[in-house]
Amino acid sequence: MDQVQARIAQQEYAFDAGEVRRLLRNVMPEPLGDHFVVVGGSRFPPKQVISLVTGLDRADFNTHQARRILSRLGFTVGRRSHASATASPRRPGPHGGREADLLRPFAGRWVAQRGLEVLVAADTPQAVLQWLESNNQQADAMFRVPSDENEATGVAPA
Amino acid sequence: MRFPFKELPGTLSSDYLRPAVPVIVEGIPRAPQLCLLDTGALHNRFGAWTAEAAGIDLSDADEQRVAMGGFVTNARQAPLGMTLGGFTWEAPVWFCDPWPLAFHLLGQEGFFLWFNVRLRAAVYEIDITPET
Repeated sequence: MDQVQARIAQQEYAFDAGEVRRLLRNVMPEPLGDHFVVVGGSRFPPKQVISLVTGLDRADFNTHQARRILSRLGFTVGRRSHASATASPRRPGPHGGREADLLRPFAGRWVAQRGLEVLVAADTPQAVLQWLESNNQQADAMFRVPSDENEATGVAPA
Repeated sequence: MRFPFKELPGTLSSDYLRPAVPVIVEGIPRAPQLCLLDTGALHNRFGAWTAEAAGIDLSDADEQRVAMGGFVTNARQAPLGMTLGGFTWEAPVWFCDPWPLAFHLLGQEGFFLWFNVRLRAAVYEIDITPET
C-alpha cells in the first residue's frame, strides 16, 4: 500500500510512501533503539520518520503507532535483536560470516560499527564523524566497506 | 590484547578475512580507525582525510608520489599519536590521497617496532602486546 490514512495525536494524516522516501533522502538516521524501519536502504528509528513527516513532537505518539503506519506503507520494520539473528550456515571467519553479512548492504559506504552492528553509514568519512559527534555516540571501529576485491585486499587489478 | 580478524563482505563466493585492528587516532576519539597489519609495509599509510579530521596541518609536510598495490597516490608525512588497547605511541604516518582501500595500513616503522604481534590465521585471531 503506497498511501495510508492514520490518526495521530487527534489529527488525521495522509502518508505517502514515495513522499516518505523523498523526505528522508538526505537525512541521517538517529541512533536506533529496539525498533527500526528500512527506508532507502538505511535503518531509521520509526519515531524519527513519523516525526519528520508530520512535524509532530515525538511525545505525541508511540513507537508502535509509528511502526504500524510505516509497515502499512510497505516499509520493512523490525527489532534489532531479531534482525541480528541469522539462519545462514556458518562460514569461515571469527563470526561465521555474520559480520560480513551485516556489512554487505553498506558496500562502498563509510560505516561506524559498535560490536558487529553498524551505527551509521554515510558516503563520506566526515559525515560519519559528524553523526557520531552530534549524536554523542562512540564507535568501536570506522572504515569503508569494500565494494570490490581491490579495496579489501590492496592487490593490483588484472 | 586479542582481536578477531575482520570479516569484510566479498563480492564473489567468499568473504575477506583480514588481520585488522581498531586504532584510536589522536583527535578522532569517537571513531577508532580500522587498520590492516601489513607486515610487508615499511611505513604507516592512512587515508589523507584522517589528517584533516585530526587537525594535522600537512601544508609543510614532506611529499612523495608512491605506487602501492594497484594504485598511485600522493603521500605526505606527519607524526601522529595513536592508541591501541590502552597503549599509546607516536610515530610517523604517511597520509595518502587518493586512498581507495577499506582500511589504513600499519607498517614496520610506525607499528611493528612498538608491538609484539602474533597472527593466528587458522583461528582468525591476533595477539598483540606492547614491546617492553
